[in-house]
Amino acid sequence: MTTEEIRAPASSATVARSSAPQERQATLGQRIYRYRFVYLMLVPTFALLLTFNYYPAFMGLYRAFFKWDIGLQPEFLGLGNFEKLFIRDDIFIKSLRHVSLLTSWRVISAVTFPFIVAELIFNLRSNVHKYTYRVLTILPAVVPGIVILLLWQFIYDGTHGLLNAFLEGVGLEDWQQPWLGSPKTALYAVTFMGFPWVGGVTVLIYLAGLQGISDEVIDSSLVDGCSGLRRIFAIDIPLILGQFKLIIVLAVIGGLQGWVAVFVMTAGGPGTASMVPGLWMYNNAFLWNKMGYASAIGMFLFVLIMGLTILNVKFVKTGDY
Amino acid sequence: MTVLEGQPQPIQRMPQTESWRRAWRSGDWWRHLGLLGFLFFMFLPFIITIIISFKDIPQFDHYPFTVTFPLHPDNYLEAWRIVSRYILNSIITSGTSVVGMVILAAIAAWAFARYPFPGRELFFFGVLALLMVPGELTLIPAFLLVKDLGLLNTRWVLIAPYIAGGQVFAIFILRQFFEALPGEMFEAARIDGANELQVFRHIGIPLSQSILGVVAIMHVLSTWNDVIWPLVTLRSNELMTLTIGLYAFRTAWYTIWGPLMAGYVIASIPLIILFAFTSRLFVEGLSSGAIKM
Repeated sequence: MTTEEIRAPASSATVARSSAPQERQATLGQRIYRYRFVYLMLVPTFALLLTFNYYPAFMGLYRAFFKWDIGLQPEFLGLGNFEKLFIRDDIFIKSLRHVSLLTSWRVISAVTFPFIVAELIFNLRSNVHKYTYRVLTILPAVVPGIVILLLWQFIYDGTHGLLNAFLEGVGLEDWQQPWLGSPKTALYAVTFMGFPWVGGVTVLIYLAGLQGISDEVIDSSLVDGCSGLRRIFAIDIPLILGQFKLIIVLAVIGGLQGWVAVFVMTAGGPGTASMVPGLWMYNNAFLWNKMGYASAIGMFLFVLIMGLTILNVKFVKTGDY
Repeated sequence: MTVLEGQPQPIQRMPQTESWRRAWRSGDWWRHLGLLGFLFFMFLPFIITIIISFKDIPQFDHYPFTVTFPLHPDNYLEAWRIVSRYILNSIITSGTSVVGMVILAAIAAWAFARYPFPGRELFFFGVLALLMVPGELTLIPAFLLVKDLGLLNTRWVLIAPYIAGGQVFAIFILRQFFEALPGEMFEAARIDGANELQVFRHIGIPLSQSILGVVAIMHVLSTWNDVIWPLVTLRSNELMTLTIGLYAFRTAWYTIWGPLMAGYVIASIPLIILFAFTSRLFVEGLSSGAIKM
């Protein structure tokens, strides 16, 4: 956390000056009483958080150890759900492989293409141009995610899709596929959608890092005859490692939570050819009412994501960015 | 490649066309070429969407990806009849929840930032810990909760959890900002006889407008794009938000590409308008997902 030092707020300073001796002797009850209006300020916030965040979170952890079908009495299973998950549920194991592929590509694409674009923009001479390109790269991020997903669904469409039309245009009719409808290609189609994989936000993060490199460093590197690609590898990349770390962590978390895209594009299909854990949880809960089993998958994802978030907090400081 | 290329240049004020021409001569041309290449592919899907949105069915069958005449703007009317309701629903949902969220988060963050009440750090940790909890863990119990509360298929089933969940990150950001505000100003106001509420209303809030804007836009973006929660909690077509409405629209109008693509275009317009008016806040809001802790 970045707020280690709590500055003494002005309000307390005023109070403290007039009543410093009593302040020290004030009992906890008196101090609570003095700030009663502050607690009042927090009541609505905590009422909502307890209802819609804390209760479901604890319930999710608790019910992961139960057989819990809607309409039936929950039945305690201990680690039964997890045993089933990791030993007897082949589809879940398969979905882990799928999500690894999805996440790996997310990481690889996030550290390459947006970085190339950021370098291209950063090295432009005119600030007007830099600004223009920055706005243009961020613009697609404004289009609602669902529209992008549905567009890619259209691009991959077997009969009317852009990709097949392109293949026909360049004489590769044999390669034409119903990309999302064939078990051989569905997972790869979902993984590699988003060409040319340039996320506007990611570009901005890299750019912020590059702009933070001091002019002296760049100047002296130029004097030493280090320019072009050599400068990128010897100076830029080492100096913005913080940004790279941040983006990798975000890409991994995004990959684990990115099952909504799979849901919209293929619903995990055909069959389970593109199933991922998040979607498997959704199916168990909302198609088959196996709430306890689904909670166990939810808990597994929670542990994974929390681990990564802690890594994020520990190794990626806000100041880096 | 010349040695000087990497050097940052001071802002030069010159006419747009002149600056482009000079850039071309200066050896930046291959960078422009690369960037334009990337941009071309980034925008290609959107350009094709717009082209298709003006086609009727025979035009699409014969020339799917090139501009065909006559244009059919009536596709937009047809799509608007369906999509407008979803847009309105999304505006109501995101709009109500953003107002509620910002008010509650600002009050709570103010309390955390400016009063040393007993238990302050404990309570604050109670808020922060929720940043670690992903939606995957809470989805199922939260669904069963709103079902038991009888909220399913109402507007509140979206608004209330959005307000609750949105506060967490907003409080975190706002507290840092409020703490950094200069205390002298509040002291001066108090000496002039302002009470705590007036200090907050007339000094704290006006000073924080831009950070409040960032927090608000972040919230609008995430609620506007949410798919799963509305999908599991809403059944009736009248209440559907844009994301699941478009999803249903796609299923119902599959292969009637003209109006479908027109619908996608219409669906993108509200956020583009918001972006046009608040681009700076917008960019900060988009990237602040990255500042998470």
